[in-house]
Amino acid sequence: MSAEKKDSVILQTSDDEQFTVEKKVAERSAMIKSMLEDLPSQDSMIPLPNVSSSVLAKVLEYCDHHKNEPLPAADADADDSRKKTSEIGDWDSNLSQVDQEMLFEIILAANYLDIKPLLDVGCKTVKLTTDQSLSSNMIKGKSPEQIRTLFNIQNDFTPEEEEQIRKENEWAEEWVQNRKSDGLAC
Amino acid sequence: MSTSASSSGKAAWREPTKEDKPPKDADLPEAWAFLKVGVEHIMTRLHLGMSYSYYILLYTAIYDFCTASRPTAGHGATRGGASLQGSELYKSLHVFLSNHCKRLREESDTLSDHELLKFYAKEWDRYTTGATYVNKLFNYLNKHWVKREKEEGRKEVYTVYTLALVAWKNNFFNHFANQGGVSRLTQAILRQIEHQRNGEVVDSGLLKQVIESYVSLGIDQGDYQRANLDVYKEHFQTPFLAATRQYYKNESSLYVVANSVSDYMKKAEDRLDEEAQRVTLYLNDSTRKDLKETCERVLVSDHAELLWDEFQALLDADRLKDLTRMYALLSRIPTGLEPLRRQFEEHVKRAGLAAVQRVLPAAGAVNEAGKAEVLDPKSYIEALLEVHGKFGEVVDGPFRAELGFNASLDKACRDFCNTNAACTSPTKSPELLASYCDQMLRKSNKDLDGESVENALNQAMIIFRYIDDKDVFQKFYQKKLALRLIGQLSASDDSESSMITKLKELSGFEYTNKLTRMFTDMNLSRDLTEKFKEKERNRAASSDIDFTAMILGANFWPIVPAPTNYAVPREIQSTYDAFTKYHSEVHSGRKLTWLWHVMKAELRTTYLPQKYIFMTNAYQMAILCQFNENDSLSLQDLLSGTQLQESVLNAQLGLLVKAKILLQDGNNYDLNLNFKSKKLKVNLNQPVKSEQKAEATEVLAAVDEDRKFVYQATIVRLMKARKTMKHQALIQEVTAQISTKFTPKVSEIKKAIDLLLDKEYLERDEGQKDSYSYLA
Repeated sequence: MSAEKKDSVILQTSDDEQFTVEKKVAERSAMIKSMLEDLPSQDSMIPLPNVSSSVLAKVLEYCDHHKNEPLPAADADADDSRKKTSEIGDWDSNLSQVDQEMLFEIILAANYLDIKPLLDVGCKTVKLTTDQSLSSNMIKGKSPEQIRTLFNIQNDFTPEEEEQIRKENEWAEEWVQNRKSDGLAC
Repeated sequence: MSTSASSSGKAAWREPTKEDKPPKDADLPEAWAFLKVGVEHIMTRLHLGMSYSYYILLYTAIYDFCTASRPTAGHGATRGGASLQGSELYKSLHVFLSNHCKRLREESDTLSDHELLKFYAKEWDRYTTGATYVNKLFNYLNKHWVKREKEEGRKEVYTVYTLALVAWKNNFFNHFANQGGVSRLTQAILRQIEHQRNGEVVDSGLLKQVIESYVSLGIDQGDYQRANLDVYKEHFQTPFLAATRQYYKNESSLYVVANSVSDYMKKAEDRLDEEAQRVTLYLNDSTRKDLKETCERVLVSDHAELLWDEFQALLDADRLKDLTRMYALLSRIPTGLEPLRRQFEEHVKRAGLAAVQRVLPAAGAVNEAGKAEVLDPKSYIEALLEVHGKFGEVVDGPFRAELGFNASLDKACRDFCNTNAACTSPTKSPELLASYCDQMLRKSNKDLDGESVENALNQAMIIFRYIDDKDVFQKFYQKKLALRLIGQLSASDDSESSMITKLKELSGFEYTNKLTRMFTDMNLSRDLTEKFKEKERNRAASSDIDFTAMILGANFWPIVPAPTNYAVPREIQSTYDAFTKYHSEVHSGRKLTWLWHVMKAELRTTYLPQKYIFMTNAYQMAILCQFNENDSLSLQDLLSGTQLQESVLNAQLGLLVKAKILLQDGNNYDLNLNFKSKKLKVNLNQPVKSEQKAEATEVLAAVDEDRKFVYQATIVRLMKARKTMKHQALIQEVTAQISTKFTPKVSEIKKAIDLLLDKEYLERDEGQKDSYSYLA
């Protein structure tokens, strides 16, 4: 254990790759931040068993870009502001450049690491690409089942469960729900 | 992966590794088995440390468990797995925390007060620190499952930290209270506090820690971020206040029996300070008010009678420190000061009356000249001021200039300043005050410089404020000012106008209008005299008479011509004529009345070997001028020569004979050709005794005359505005309006009403006996 305060940490991904990053970059993750605050500083690396190196690279890219911004408040109020603003910053629109699967991976990682702004921007990007899909008639006239297929969603829920899941994973499910009803209306 | 704990040598603890972590889709027993070890480590062995990787493993295990999408089949319920998973995890944690707290009971049961508090504080500290970590570790559960449960209105679901507090409260904290009566833990605190009150040293920091836990354990069902003091109030504050009440009840009742009131007040003050300090040291600030009230009730209210009874003795002995203390104590309780204010007022009043009694000449006392000793205005006013000053300091000092005491002081001063042994009539005090001002402002007042005079006048204004009959003061002051101005006896114009300004500030422009006009007249007269002299010089009318005239507006000066004839002496006839003529040229249409009785003259002697200057009044001048023709004259000769009334003439002759200017031989008066005096200037202008006495009555008569008009004017003003008024209402309003000027008498108001009825300004309403109407 090192007594002095270090300004960089090593993150280790599920595929055993190591990333040495500035502490304040890593601390964009509320989870890592609170751990670093609570535990005495140590030399060992921080394993992230739920994140792969390709995803972490993207996530860190985001964290590095935003490292000097104030961290969002820890309380639930941030939810409201997330819902209100649908704009995505210039830089953050790069996210729409990644393929859909990667986008989902990023969202999952953001959720796991508790990086709220990234989670928000990820969900907004999903919404945006969906809107584009809609406008390009990609899913016009398609049944909910077809839309599920398009967005790679398994429908293995009972109606009660579906409701339950919607609430539980609001951050990711919201757009599905919206799209589903929109799709039906088309 | 190496464990961070290995270096500490505690072989009992081996940090689990990646290999121990359950799979992502592990069921609850498997997942909890892994998590339980971690939570227990945090709650009990945190000092052994924790590695990043273990922390992340625990976090990931929780995350995986909560997010695992797993078929519902395993649980067989129709209700979805995700909800159930969160709930199961939450329940497991709850059971774990509850068991942890239950174990503490057994350990605590055998401990005595101080050990119990120490144990409790230590465990509390460890427990809450651990709970903070666990709370963060379970962040995912908090943010998703707990949040949603709460949104659905489940009140008994808490975030993990609060859950830990609830577990502590239900399984450990409440255990102390369940033994009946006041919680054993609280009793331990209260006994420590009692030790401290008894002067023993106790660990305040420890008490603070334990008491703060009471505050933390108050969990607001609606919003657990908000402080809720229910637990603190019920389990600590209420028994604490009861114990406090009992303690001080015992202490104070024993203390007052064995000690003086003065000592008791010190004790009470110390105790009150000490208890205020206690709040700062280790209580929740919300207790401050209740504790203060409790202590004040037991320490002050319950002994208020004792303090009130002691008050007079403290006043009598001028015990200022004790008075300060008594005020501070009694001001804490409602109505605590009221009896003091009443006693204080009586005390000041008695002191004022006694002070006047002391300066009053003894009955029948005579002065060196054999005359009855009269009250010196200066001693009188100074006696009043001394009492006012002394108790003003008491009010400003011990009584913190509190309004009620100021009112008591004013009321007492007003009482003794208007009615006292020296002033049986309410007009006497204003007269004495006017005389005092006169003394201060006169040239003869040599011992005071300008600044001291100013001070004395400021002091006079203090008494002036208390004087009821301000119109009487005004009249006397005006009279005395007139004499100062005419006689040129004022020490300084600055002081004079400063006094007028003060009066104006307090009683308004109208009150001082005449006084100001008198000054104006003096200045105008100076100019007029100068111009007259200039004209006389140009006319080259040689006269060896140096003449100065004062032209006094009849409306502003309280001087009326004396009721005697006066033959202008031949010697000044030409000047008299010239000035009369000059005045009518300058101010045509103004009537000039010569006020011989206030005139002053200086006569040079030519009949004696030594030249003397006689300073005389106009009457004496007239008499002496008769002797320019003859060295010996009969009373009859003088009467016809001067045209003076016989009584006036006799009085003046008396003065001249007494000064040995004239020698009396029956009805004949001879010029004393052997007159000798040590001084070259001989002042013959002495006041005649009868005149002095007449002066006061004259002024008072003028006051009465003025008052009649004030009554009438006030009534007319009111009636004109209201048109009709009931008798009683009219009397009341008139009284109210007039009392700023003097104390009105109802009988006088009635007289004025009758007079106005006669003059047909008013009429009685028909059919209504007690109502008047205004007649335009």
